[in-house]
Amino acid sequence: MLLAVLFTNIEGNILVERFHGVPAEERLHWRSFLVKLGADNLRRAKSEELFVATHKSVYIVYTMLGDVSIFIVGKDEYDELTLSEVMCTIISSVKDVCGRTPTERLFLDKYGKICLCLDEIVWKGMLENTDKTRIRNLTRLKPPTDI
Amino acid sequence: MSITSSLANFLRPCSDFRISCGDPVAVRHAMAIITDIATRDPNSVAMALGKHIEHGGALHDILRLHDVLARLCLARLCYVLCRARALDERPGIKFQFTSLLYQLLLDPSDRVCFEAMFCILGKFDNTERTEERAAGWIRLTREVLKLPEAPSVTLKDASVKLNREKRASKAKHPQPLMKLVIRRLESSFRSFSRPVLHAAARVVQEMGKSRAAAYALGVQVDEAMQLHSSENDDPPDSQLMGSSKSAESHKTLFPSTGPGGIDTIASLLASLLEVVRTTVACECVYVRAMVIKALIWMQNPHESFEELGSIIASELSDPAWPSTQLNDILLTLHARFKATPDMAVTLLEIARIFATKVPGKIDADVLQLLWKTCLAGAGPEGKHTALEAVTIVLDLPPPQPGSRLGLVSVDRVSASDPKSALALQRLVQAAVWFLGENANYAASEYAWESATPPATALMMLDADKMVAAASSRNPTLAGALTRLQRCAFSGSWEVRIVAAQALMTIAIRSGEPYRLQIYEFLHALSLGGVQSQFSQSHFSNGEDQGASGTGIGSLINSMLKVLDEMYRAQDDLIRDMRNHDNNNQEWTDEELKKLYENHEKLLDLASLFCFVPRAKYLPLGPTSAKLIDIYRNRHNIGASTGLNDPAVATGISDLVYESKAAHMEPETIDPELAMAWAAGLDDDLLGTNAPALKKVNEFLAGAGIEAPDIEEEDESLMSRPSVVYDDLWAKSFLETDEPEEDDGRSSGTSSPESTGSVETSISSHFGGLGYPSLFSSRPSGYGVSQNWENKSGNDATRFSNASSTFEAADYPVREETPPPPSYASAVLGRFDTFENPLAGSGAQSFGSQEEDRSSQNPQSGKALYDFTAGGDDELSLTAGEEVEIDDEVDGWYYVKKKRPGRDGRMAGLVPVLYISSSS
Repeated sequence: MLLAVLFTNIEGNILVERFHGVPAEERLHWRSFLVKLGADNLRRAKSEELFVATHKSVYIVYTMLGDVSIFIVGKDEYDELTLSEVMCTIISSVKDVCGRTPTERLFLDKYGKICLCLDEIVWKGMLENTDKTRIRNLTRLKPPTDI
Repeated sequence: MSITSSLANFLRPCSDFRISCGDPVAVRHAMAIITDIATRDPNSVAMALGKHIEHGGALHDILRLHDVLARLCLARLCYVLCRARALDERPGIKFQFTSLLYQLLLDPSDRVCFEAMFCILGKFDNTERTEERAAGWIRLTREVLKLPEAPSVTLKDASVKLNREKRASKAKHPQPLMKLVIRRLESSFRSFSRPVLHAAARVVQEMGKSRAAAYALGVQVDEAMQLHSSENDDPPDSQLMGSSKSAESHKTLFPSTGPGGIDTIASLLASLLEVVRTTVACECVYVRAMVIKALIWMQNPHESFEELGSIIASELSDPAWPSTQLNDILLTLHARFKATPDMAVTLLEIARIFATKVPGKIDADVLQLLWKTCLAGAGPEGKHTALEAVTIVLDLPPPQPGSRLGLVSVDRVSASDPKSALALQRLVQAAVWFLGENANYAASEYAWESATPPATALMMLDADKMVAAASSRNPTLAGALTRLQRCAFSGSWEVRIVAAQALMTIAIRSGEPYRLQIYEFLHALSLGGVQSQFSQSHFSNGEDQGASGTGIGSLINSMLKVLDEMYRAQDDLIRDMRNHDNNNQEWTDEELKKLYENHEKLLDLASLFCFVPRAKYLPLGPTSAKLIDIYRNRHNIGASTGLNDPAVATGISDLVYESKAAHMEPETIDPELAMAWAAGLDDDLLGTNAPALKKVNEFLAGAGIEAPDIEEEDESLMSRPSVVYDDLWAKSFLETDEPEEDDGRSSGTSSPESTGSVETSISSHFGGLGYPSLFSSRPSGYGVSQNWENKSGNDATRFSNASSTFEAADYPVREETPPPPSYASAVLGRFDTFENPLAGSGAQSFGSQEEDRSSQNPQSGKALYDFTAGGDDELSLTAGEEVEIDDEVDGWYYVKKKRPGRDGRMAGLVPVLYISSSS
C-alpha cells in the first residue's frame, strides 16, 4: 500500500499531497514528520538523490527534485525498492511535464498537469502506470499507445 | 472452496488473455489477483496455470516483461504454489514453480531478486513461522539452480549491461543458490543508492532470522561444507546478477571466493558480513540501523561479538541517531533473544552498550524487559553473567556534563546534557530496582532454602568475617549486595531510595549471612546518619537530609524494625526451644499457636516489602519449620493461606478439612520457578497491559504504521514515544522532576516527603503497571494467588482498610519531625483490630467433630469442651458444664451459666459446636 505521496517546497510548505489509507488524525503527524525529515537531510542533497527512512514497518523514500522535495510512504510490498521505482516514475513524469528540472514556480505553473500525472501513477494506494509516454497519453485522454 | 475454484476457473480465460497480452499493467494486476487466489486455493490455481508454467508458457514470458511489479507478483505466486501442501502429490508442478522462482534470482531488478530471496528464505508476509523459516534456510543452503538452456531472461533494462555470450555460457552450469544470493547481495552492497543498501541489509537480516530459526529447530546445516558445483565460478558471475557498478573490485577484495578457492557457506557468509560491516559507514542513519539489525541477526551464539560490539559502540556515539531507531534495535535484540535464548549473555552485553552510551534515547522499560527475559533465559550458569551485565550500569561513574570522552570507550557514559543525565539516573534506578528484585533469583539464594542455621550466622557477627563468608559462599549475591550498598550511599536521593528498597528485598529473601550483612549495613546507615546530623549538620547541600544523612531515614527505620522483629522472634524461638529441650517438655498447643501467629505476622510484614512465597517462607528461621508444620497440620491450616483463610479464622477448617489433604500443591512448586514468577520473569504473566511488552510484541509482529510523533519544540527528530505510556507506573516513579502530579499514586512515590511513607511506595509497587508488579503478576495456581482468589471481598476491604490506616498513620510523618509513628506498630494495630472478632473462634476450635449433633434449639445444654473467651462478650466454659441457651446468632449461642465462672461472668456467646444441646 502506498500510504502517501507528498510534494513540498524548500521551506517545507506542502504543494501536493495524496494520502491513502491514513486516518485523518494521523495525517498531520505524517506531514510534520516528513517535513522534518526533509529539513534534516535534504539541505545539501543532490537533485534526484534518493534517501530512505523507516518508521516501524513503514518505508519512506524521499528526494529533492530542483526546488521541490518529494516524499513517498509505503508499506508491505511497497518497500524501499518499490518506492524508488515509484519515485523514478514520478520524477520522470514531473520532468516530462515541466520540460526540465522544476523550480517551485514552474511546478506551480504546471500544477494541474502534475496532479493529473500523479493520479495516473498512483491510484488508490497502488502503483498504476509507470511508462512516461503512456502517462502522458492518458493525461491527454488519448488511448495508451501500445494498445 | 467451491467459490475460489470457480473464481479460478473464471480467471482462467481471463488470465490467459491478460498474461499473453502485452499490457504490463494489466498483467501485473492479473498476477496480483491470481497470487491472492493462490494463497486460498493453490490447487485450482496450479491446475488453471498448468499450461502456462511449462517452458515457453505465459508465465515464462513475464520474466521478460518490462514491469517490476508483475515479476514481483510472479515471485510471490511461485512461492505460494511451491510451498502449498495441497500440491504435495504433484511434485512436477511444484518443481516447475520452484525453478521459476529460482530463476527470478537472476532478475536484473533488485526488487524482484530480493523478493525471490525473501520467498526462498520463507518470509512471505508478516507472520513468522519458525518451521517455514528453517526450511527456507535449508533451501537456500542446499538447493541448486539448474537451467536447462540459456535462460529466457532477455533484459531490456537499461541499467544492466551484460555480456550476452558470457552469460549464456555461464548460466548453463548449475549454481548453488547460496552463492547466487551472496554474490548478488555483495554487489548490491556496493551500490550508491540508499534504498538498495537498505533493502540489501534487510535481506541479510531475514537471512539471519531464517538461520536462527533453523538453529532453534535443531536443524544442522554444516556451514563448513563445500558447496556443490562450484568448480566453474568466478567473480564475473556477479556481473550477471545485476546492476553492479564495481564488480571489478570483487576479485581483489575477496580472494577467498575467487577462482580456485573453496566455497563453503561459512566463507561466503564471512565475506558477505565483511561487506555488510563496511556498509555501516553509510551516512544514512536508517541504513545503518538496518545494517546493525542485520548484524545482530547474523550473529551466532558461539561467535565472538567483539566486532559487533565495537561497531555498535562507535555507532551510538553519533548524536544523529533518532531514539525510535535505537529502540527498534533494542527490540531487535529482544526478537533475537526469543529466536535464540543461548544468546542471552551476548545480547545483554549489547544492551549494556546502549544503556551506557545513549541512556537518554532508549526506553528504560524495553531495556528492563530485555534484562528480565535474558536473565530468565540465560540458564543456571549464565545467570551470574547476566546479572553482571545489568549491574555494570551501576558501576558507571556519574556523567560529567560537557565531557565528550565517551566516544571510544564502551564503559564511559556520554551524558553530555542534563536531559540525558536525568535519563541515565532513571536507568540506574531501573537497574537498582531490577537488581534488588532479581538478585536472589540469579544467585539461587533463598532464605527458605538456606543451609545456614541462624545461630551460626549470629556467631559471625564480626563484619569482616561475615563479608568474607558471604562472598565465598555466593559471589553473585555478594557482588550485587556490594553494588547496592554503594548505591545506597552515593548516587542521587532517588537512587538511594530504590537501593534501600532493593537491599531490603534481598534481606528478606535471602538467608544468613546476607540478611545479617544487610541489617548491619542498614543499621550503620541510619546510625551514621544520626551522627552526622549531630556533628556536621551545617554541611547540607540544600537537600533535606531527613533523619539520617542519606535522607532515607524514615524508610530505613521501618525496614530495620521489621528485621529487628524478625531477629527478636528468632531469638525467642531459640530460647523457647532450648527451654523445652532442657525440661524435656512438649510444646503445648497454646505455645504453638502463639508461635504460629507470630510467624504469620512476620510473614505479612515481610510481604509488605516484597513478594515471598508464603507457603515456604519462614521468618522465624529454618528451625521453626517443624513446629509450624505441626501446628498447621493439627489445625488444617493451608500453608499458603494461613490464618487469613476465612475457613481457618472461623474454625470451619477444623471441621471441614478434617480428612482432606488439601493445600498440598504449593509445596511442590519448584522454587526457581516460583522466583521467576515472583519477579514476573515469565512473559505471559506480565499481562497484556505491560506497555513495554506490548511494544515488543508489536515489533515482533511487524505491526505499526501509525504516524510518528513529532516534538515540535524539540531538536531531536523524533521524540520518544513515551507519551503513550503515561499510565506506566515506572515512568511516574522515575519521573522525579515532574512538577505536577496527576494521581495520588505518583505523588506518593515521587515527592521526597512522601517516599518516607512506606505504605504508598509499597502499594504502588504492588499496584503499579510498569514494573511487573509482584502482586499483579502472580501466577494463578500458585499458593498465594489462590489465597487472593479465595478470600475475596472480605479481604479486599481489609486491605484497603489497612492501607488507609497506614496513610493515616503516616501522614503525620510527612508533616514532620516528631519520631515517626512506627510503621510496624501500625501493622500490629491493624492485626489486633482484625483478628479480634475471629480469634476466639478460630484459635481454639479443635477436637474431634465426628459426633452427629442435632440442633433442635432446646432450652438447656452441656459444654462439650473447654472454651476460653476471646472477647468481652464471649463466655469461658469448662467441659461438662451445664448451660441454658437463650438464642442462636450466626453459629454462636448466647448462653447463661448456672453459676458464675472463674472470671465472674454468667452469660455470653459460645460457639454452637461447643455445646451439646439436650432437648
